[in-house]
Amino acid sequence: MDLKEYSEIKISEIEPILKINLRGKNRNFITKIGKELSIITPVDPNTSSSNEKLNLLWLSPDEWFLYSNDKLGIKDANSLEDKLFNEISKVKLGSVTNVSDHWIMINLKGRKIFELLSTGCPFNFNNFKNSKGAVTQTLLNHIDVIIHNKNVNDLNLFVRRSFSAHLWSWMNDSARFI
Amino acid sequence: MFIINCPYCGERDQSEFSAGGEAHIVRPKQPTELSDDQWAEYLFMRKNIKGVQFERWNHSHGCRKWFNMVRDTSNDKIHAVYKMGEKPPVK
Repeated sequence: MDLKEYSEIKISEIEPILKINLRGKNRNFITKIGKELSIITPVDPNTSSSNEKLNLLWLSPDEWFLYSNDKLGIKDANSLEDKLFNEISKVKLGSVTNVSDHWIMINLKGRKIFELLSTGCPFNFNNFKNSKGAVTQTLLNHIDVIIHNKNVNDLNLFVRRSFSAHLWSWMNDSARFI
Repeated sequence: MFIINCPYCGERDQSEFSAGGEAHIVRPKQPTELSDDQWAEYLFMRKNIKGVQFERWNHSHGCRKWFNMVRDTSNDKIHAVYKMGEKPPVK
């Protein structure tokens, strides 16, 4: 695991964790996800729901992103994916796609993390940083990212694998000057 | 740089969006019955006026949803934003 510390900013890569993309439109799909995961499916824009094991993020009116809090074993991860696949994809309620290797999760902690993000992001974090569980999809240094505000000064950032090394270098470079 | 109010995500910077050209162009019901000129008119010819224009936009770096916008191209003032399938709120 990569971990870098600066004054008031700690950047760490958290892998491997389970990440699943869920897509569907009808009400049955939304109810089914909630039932299978024991989570209330977030239907309000830019919000999320969590339990002790999983987080479900709203991405768009018909798309959600599920990720685990801890590093799940392959057996647990596969059984959750299979369960969702059988209950949702197989019965044509929606789609379930394992994107664990597609996205990289980077955890940012510290009092100045929003100053770091603001150096390369067009998003206004004023309300976001005070709303626990808030989610946004935006650009950071021209790279698509998903940002989940886990707690006060503690957020998880998801970036596509092919851009992750570049974004990691950029964040470390920028953090040195904050 | 200007702010666009995505009908799904809320206010975001323009850099998160992609312009998709003129809105409300209806595909001909019988394309095979059209002349080449009529087909080219439908396929390629777009208005690009200075003034209020109806446009399609995509929140490509956000929710990735398409929506419509009424924008004054001379000063980038946005008069309305509405979802696909909805009627334009102004004429």
